[in-house]
Amino acid sequence: MRKNLFASMFILLIAALVLSACGAQTPTAAPTRAATEAATEAATEAAPVDPLAMYRPENVSGDIITAGSSTVFPLTERMKQRFEEEGFTGNITIDSIGTGAGFERFCVNGETDISNASRPIKDSEIESCRAIGREPLEFRVGTDALAVVVSNENTFVTDVTMEELAFIFSTAERWSDVRPEWPNEPIRRFIAGTDSGTFDYFVEVVFDKDEGPILAASNLQLSEDDNVLVQGVEGSPYAIGFFGFAYYHENARQLRTVAVNGVEPNEETAENGTYPLARPLFIYSTAQIMQDKPQVAAFIYFYLTNVNDEIMDVGYFPASQQALTEALNTWYLAVGLQP
Amino acid sequence: MMRKRNGVGANGYPVRKERLHKRTRIGEVVIQSLLFFAGFFSIFTTLGIVYELGKESLLFFRTPAVRLWDFLTGTAWQPHINQFGILPLVTSTFITSAIAMSIAIPLGLAAAIYLSEYASSKVRKTLKPILEILAGIPTIVYGYFALMFVTPLLRSIFGQDVVEIYNMASGGLVMGILILPLVASMSEDALNAVPRALREAAYGLGATRLEVALKIVVPAALSGIAAAIIVGISRAVGETMIVAVAVGAGPNFTFNPFRGAETMTGHIVRISGGDLSYDSIDYNSIFAIGLMLFFITLTLNIISQRIVRRFREVYE
Repeated sequence: MRKNLFASMFILLIAALVLSACGAQTPTAAPTRAATEAATEAATEAAPVDPLAMYRPENVSGDIITAGSSTVFPLTERMKQRFEEEGFTGNITIDSIGTGAGFERFCVNGETDISNASRPIKDSEIESCRAIGREPLEFRVGTDALAVVVSNENTFVTDVTMEELAFIFSTAERWSDVRPEWPNEPIRRFIAGTDSGTFDYFVEVVFDKDEGPILAASNLQLSEDDNVLVQGVEGSPYAIGFFGFAYYHENARQLRTVAVNGVEPNEETAENGTYPLARPLFIYSTAQIMQDKPQVAAFIYFYLTNVNDEIMDVGYFPASQQALTEALNTWYLAVGLQP
Repeated sequence: MMRKRNGVGANGYPVRKERLHKRTRIGEVVIQSLLFFAGFFSIFTTLGIVYELGKESLLFFRTPAVRLWDFLTGTAWQPHINQFGILPLVTSTFITSAIAMSIAIPLGLAAAIYLSEYASSKVRKTLKPILEILAGIPTIVYGYFALMFVTPLLRSIFGQDVVEIYNMASGGLVMGILILPLVASMSEDALNAVPRALREAAYGLGATRLEVALKIVVPAALSGIAAAIIVGISRAVGETMIVAVAVGAGPNFTFNPFRGAETMTGHIVRISGGDLSYDSIDYNSIFAIGLMLFFITLTLNIISQRIVRRFREVYE
C-alpha cells in the first residue's frame, strides 16, 4: 500500500517536472524566431527611415509592469498576448488589483509603468503622482457597460428605472415591495466587493456616491471575484447582481440582462451614452516612463492601434473614434513625434 | 526529566557530580542548545503573532467609531459604513463548526471504534492510510466539492427556494468530512492506548464485544477522545478555504443553515484578497477578527487541556 503510494507520487513528480520543462521551453523558442523575422524585415525595409520603427514589438525589449483595474485586466491581457505574438520578447506583468490599488502602486510607490483604470484618475491621485515626480497621461481604450443581471429562470424583471434599481439594491426586502405584480419573495443581492472599481462606479451612478444604503441591505453577498457573483445570480430566480459586461458575455447562456431606464446595454447605447451604466476604460502612464522605457511606449502604441480588433471579443465596447485619436495624439506628444 | 538528571542517572543509580562536570561532552551541549532553540523558536513565533495581532487590533479599537460593546454585541458587520458588530461572523463560524462536528464526532468516533476494536489488523492496515489520504486532500478541493456537489444535492432535496446557492449547511457538512479523519485518527490512538488487560478482564466476566468497546474502552479513553474532539472544533473554527468558497461572501446575521453567511476566516480571506489600503479601518478590522479567533481557539485549547487532566485515567 505504502509502496504503491510512494511509487505513484514519484511518477506524478516526474510528470510534473517534465511538463514544467516543456512549458519553459516555449518562450525560449520564440525569441529566435522573432529575431530572424526582425532581421529579414530590417533588411527588406531598410530604405525609408520610419520613426515608428523603434516602437515595433520586435524592436523593443525589457519588462513592462502594469497593475490596476480588474475590469481592464482581460483587455490588457489580450493586448499582451497580441504584442507577444508580434515578436515582443520581454516580460509583461499585469496585476488585477483594482483601480484604486493600481493608482496606489503607480502614484505612491511608483512601481508600475502602466496603470489600468476603470474610471478617470482622481485629483488626489494626480497630486500623489506629482509628489513623486510623475505626471500621469490618460489613454482611453474602450467603454465598459455594467450589466444588471438576473437568472434565466427569472421571468418577471425585464426593465427597471434608476430609482427602482436603487431601491432593489438597498432597502427593498421583497420583489413585491418594488412592484406589486412581482413575486412576494426576498431579493437576493450579489454585488461587487467594496474594493473593486465596479462597486465604486455602481455606487457613484446609482446611489450618488453614498455607499451606506447598498451596504446596509439585507441578503447581501459581496465578492471581488465576478465568478462568485455569476454563480450566485444563476442560483436563484430571485437573485439580482451586477458586474462588467465582459462577465455577462462569458455567461450569457445562464444570465439575462435587465434594461435600465428602458435602455438595453449594447454597443450602440454604451457608445452614445444613453445606457446609464456605461463607463470609460483607461490606461495611464507618463511621458518620462515612455521615454525611459521605449518598450512601454511601444506597448501603448500597439494597444491604441489594435484595441478595436479585440475589444468586442473581450466583452467591452470600443471607445469613440475621437477618443482614440486623442489618445494617439497624447502618445505622439509624449514620445516627441509629429502625429 | 529535569529532576531525574540531578540526582539519578538514566539507569537509576546515583551519579557522582564531579565526574559529570569534568567531562563536558560537546556533542551533547550542541544538541541540547539546538533543542532549546527549537522550543524557543515556536514560543517566540507565538509571541510575535500575539504582539502583531494586539498592536493592529489596538489601532482598530482606538478608532472613535468603534466601541467595544458594539463590537461584541452588534448584529451588523460592514466596516465600510461604520457597522462593527462581530456577531454575524461569530454565529456563522459557530453554526458551520457545529454542523461539521455533528458529522465528524459520530462518524469519526464510530470509525475509531471499528478500527481499534473490530477490524482485523489486515483491514486496519488498509483502511488507516486511506483515512489519512482523506486528510491530505487540499481544502480548496473540498470547497469546490461543497459548492459543486453538496450544494446542488441539498437544493434538490430541500428545494431551490429553501437552500441558497451559498449556504452554511453545505460548507459545514464538507468541513465535517475534512475533520472526520482527524477525529478518527486521534480517537483511535486513544482507544489503542487502553491496556489490553482491561479488555480481557471484561471478556472474562462475559461481556460482549460491543459492551467492551462502549462500556470499558471508550470511557477509559475519554480524555483522549475529548482532546480529539476539541482539536477538531479548533480546526473547524479556523478552517478557511471551504467556507470562503461555499458558505458565501456577505456577513448576514442568520441562524438558518440554508442561507448564505460569512465566517470570521471567510471574511478575513475575502477582505485581504481585495485591494485594501493599509491604514483603512477595513484593514485594521481584520486584525480584530483575527484576535477574536485567536481567543476562541486559545480557550478551546485550555478547555481541552483541563479535560485531559480531569478525566485522565492513569494505569499502573
